[in-house]
Amino acid sequence: MYDTLPIMPGEFGDYLRQRREALRADDPAFSLRRVAGRIGVEPSYLSKVERGEQPPPSEETVIRLAADLGEDPDVLLALAGKVSSDLLRIIRARPRLFADLLRQLRDMPEHAVLRLVREVRDGEW
Amino acid sequence: MIELDGDTMVVSFPDVHPAARLRITFQRTLRIPDDGSDYPLPPGLGAFPLRHVDDFAASAPPHWLRRGGVMLPMYQSEAMWLHFTSDEIEGHDARYPFAIRVAAGKVDAVTGEPWRDGLSATTQNYVVSPRQPWLDGFCVKKGTIRQFVAMPLGDGYSVEKQVTGREEHGGLQLQVVPMRRAAFERRFPKVERHRFAANASMVPNACADMFDGVVFCKAEMSLGAGGRMRQEISADPFDFADWATEPTSRCFVHLVNSLAWRKITGEAPPTVPFTAAEYNREELPWFEYYADGPALDAGLPLKGIKSILELAKAMGTNPLPENQPVTPANIVQLRQGLRPGQVREGSF
Repeated sequence: MYDTLPIMPGEFGDYLRQRREALRADDPAFSLRRVAGRIGVEPSYLSKVERGEQPPPSEETVIRLAADLGEDPDVLLALAGKVSSDLLRIIRARPRLFADLLRQLRDMPEHAVLRLVREVRDGEW
Repeated sequence: MIELDGDTMVVSFPDVHPAARLRITFQRTLRIPDDGSDYPLPPGLGAFPLRHVDDFAASAPPHWLRRGGVMLPMYQSEAMWLHFTSDEIEGHDARYPFAIRVAAGKVDAVTGEPWRDGLSATTQNYVVSPRQPWLDGFCVKKGTIRQFVAMPLGDGYSVEKQVTGREEHGGLQLQVVPMRRAAFERRFPKVERHRFAANASMVPNACADMFDGVVFCKAEMSLGAGGRMRQEISADPFDFADWATEPTSRCFVHLVNSLAWRKITGEAPPTVPFTAAEYNREELPWFEYYADGPALDAGLPLKGIKSILELAKAMGTNPLPENQPVTPANIVQLRQGLRPGQVREGSF
């Protein structure tokens, strides 16, 4: 498994706490205890994750967190040093092709990446 | 350039105008009864799923791959209509105009002539978007079409068979030609007021599980002529010289029997659509559309075309269940200049 990438310790937790606290400023439903309850973890565990004392949780938990806080799941997964399993499946199906493709795209500016489209092929008829 | 955006076919011409973009969806709909009366426009029940043929190289027949293009699933005797939307061009107060050719089994749906690439200057063999927001069938006389209805290729019900005597292509063929940039700028000069580009939003399909264990079915469908419907094919309001000769985009749309769809794609096809009687019983809306300007007459080969029902009677078959007449109770009037994203929608 190569789905865990090195990240800055605490980066995920810092981001998480910052986002949750920002939401809590307007809505008490985003207290540590209530968020933990909704995503199905212990408040003490979530607190440790936010403080960087525990590594980021599992993919499923990160996805639930993203949904609860209104964050993009792919972005939150990346912060947690993970790649979502559907992307892994895509790469594993054609590893050489996608590895090549991603390396080539690495330095391409965003607008150029966005212009990469797949055309419908016209043949003989 | 043609791409798929979900179940929408997006035809764009970035070299002509950065926002010259036409969206085409293939709408599921009710089959209107073929009972001699002229029906109003039935609703759109969501877009058919669209897939690249190339994605199923292992399971699709080789001749589909040779033609390229896309595919979509249809049940026998299921109807469809084509919905065209072009993007509004910011600052011009206009949608980019396109000439669209539509053929079924390589027989032109407007003129009835066998397919040859390109627009015809003598007999209009295309519809013009945005003036013509949809096409529901074969033009059989001025102001009347016969609905596109799918039948297995080779069973003899297609318009292709009647016009050419053979039944070898099936499917739908499309070609899109943009207006020349210079003609667009001249006809739709910039206005100061700014408006934002809007895209059509379509209802997504509800896919449901169905038939397992297909024993045998003909995988390819062709379009025959269904019941009669009031729909005008608008005459081209522009000059023929306004249309570009290059570039154009064309696409073969394979119509796959829904019973074979799962075998080829591994996906469930949409459920069987409502019958006209079921739909009408709920007093759900039918539509009438009024556009200004003259309408085209039918091409000679399509004037005397026999409907699937007429052919079936001669063959002693009954391929169209549920053909009882209905009296549309709730008719919504639509006028030219539809709001962005306005659709003929009906749902339970």
